[in-house]
Amino acid sequence: METMVNIPPVVPGIFTLPPYDQIPPKLLGGFCPACNRYYFPRPKYCRGCLGQTEEISLASKGVIYSFTVIRRKPPLGLPEPYSVGYVDLEESGLRVFSLLDPTAIARLRIGLKVRLVVEPLGHDGHGAPRLRPYFTPIMGD
Amino acid sequence: MPSAVVIGIGMIPFGKHSDRSMVDMGAEAGFLALKDAGIKPAQIDACFFASGFAARLFGDMTVGQHVFWELGINRVPVVNVENACTSGSTAFYLAYNMVAAGQADVVLVAGAEKLYVPELGLINSGETEFETQLGLVASAGFALRAIRHMNEFGTTIEQLAKVAVKNRRHGQLNPFAQFRQPITVEEVLASPMIVEPFTRLQCCPNADGAAAAVVCSTSMAKKLSRAVNVEAAILCTGSYENPQDLTHWETDYRGCRLAYEKAGIGPKDLDVVECHDAFTISEILHYEALGLCPAGEGGKLVEKGQTALGGRIPVNVSGGLLSRGHPVGATGVAQIFEIVTQLRHEAGERQVDGAKVGLAHCMGGDKAADTKSCTVVVLTR
Repeated sequence: METMVNIPPVVPGIFTLPPYDQIPPKLLGGFCPACNRYYFPRPKYCRGCLGQTEEISLASKGVIYSFTVIRRKPPLGLPEPYSVGYVDLEESGLRVFSLLDPTAIARLRIGLKVRLVVEPLGHDGHGAPRLRPYFTPIMGD
Repeated sequence: MPSAVVIGIGMIPFGKHSDRSMVDMGAEAGFLALKDAGIKPAQIDACFFASGFAARLFGDMTVGQHVFWELGINRVPVVNVENACTSGSTAFYLAYNMVAAGQADVVLVAGAEKLYVPELGLINSGETEFETQLGLVASAGFALRAIRHMNEFGTTIEQLAKVAVKNRRHGQLNPFAQFRQPITVEEVLASPMIVEPFTRLQCCPNADGAAAAVVCSTSMAKKLSRAVNVEAAILCTGSYENPQDLTHWETDYRGCRLAYEKAGIGPKDLDVVECHDAFTISEILHYEALGLCPAGEGGKLVEKGQTALGGRIPVNVSGGLLSRGHPVGATGVAQIFEIVTQLRHEAGERQVDGAKVGLAHCMGGDKAADTKSCTVVVLTR
């Protein structure tokens, strides 16, 4: 966990930063109270009213809407193979694009319940390690 | 009466042109289009040049000025266009609108690209976008649609493969196509896995190439008997609303509907379609958005052979991106080249009998599970 604290996030402002021993990682989205609209990532302005959005932490659990496995030429130092998908989040109902657990590829299916993890995964395009969020199957599902 | 017509087209065969520059290829396509139109350089009022990757791969800017100078065209407005895979059809859209608005009588459109470069890797929608940093590549964006479509509608991997087999059979008949050897469903499925469920032969190949078209006002074109009418040229961008339905692509449906409304036609009026078959599932999704079949039944449509040459509504008789290859900036113009050729009844072995109404459809870029750009052009003769 100490080393994780020293590794920068792949993109600033889209997930909470470590340590996670007290509070598990969450994606950071935007919310417009006037329009009751959720966003991920957080835009500066609400698309509905151009008001300032508030930063909110999104539910860390969701369900896989679709997924795929990239078998060739992984970019950004990602594992070969690696998986990405869309996850329907609890509460906000946002459908977010995300990496999926590269060690759980054989278990992935549409409808699977998943939770968010943040760990060092891949690099920044120039070899420096980066923290990336990914969803992993919830045990027992 | 249409607002504009196409009076000339030009294209070089797509493939590996390692010894040729983008300017050289673009200029040849433009030259062929001018000759086809019987137009002199001095008659051109404006030019649009399309390339998706010139800046990224070669650090080149304002390539169009070089291309058109090679053809003896200077002084007039020249605009360089980048809109991902729709760069070429966006350039055509701009040319059409310029002529339709009465701001020009004759406009030359050219698109060119060189994608046979070492270490290109899997194409993404921009290094700075958060989705790219989270591992999104263009092929994965479509793979996610494919797996969802298979889950919702029972679309099979064999139906996906049949899109590639059909388009290769078409490409066999097209001297401009990069890959012309027939393939079988078994060969498609046995080719290396790239992004599940896409094997290599389900992904459009990179290519070098160029294509061009001359757009002209209706009044000036009266004497030109080979003119093809532009009934609609639509460009729209994504809604980026969340959540996006990955199998009912709202932006795709919207672009097609706008084009039908503008042209005053419906899907039953079409004789021939070129669409953006970047991956096998793409063509199936576009069948549905175009209304060639009900939602969810695109897999069955290709399985029944209805979109093959000789079928009810032939799609991608050029071979499509899957067989012709995809030099990004040239693709949108090459689709218009094919439809114009078909409507002139000059397509030789791949001619759709009696074709009078054709449609060219293109899409480009990923953002928030949506496309950044969708173009639809309706042509008649």
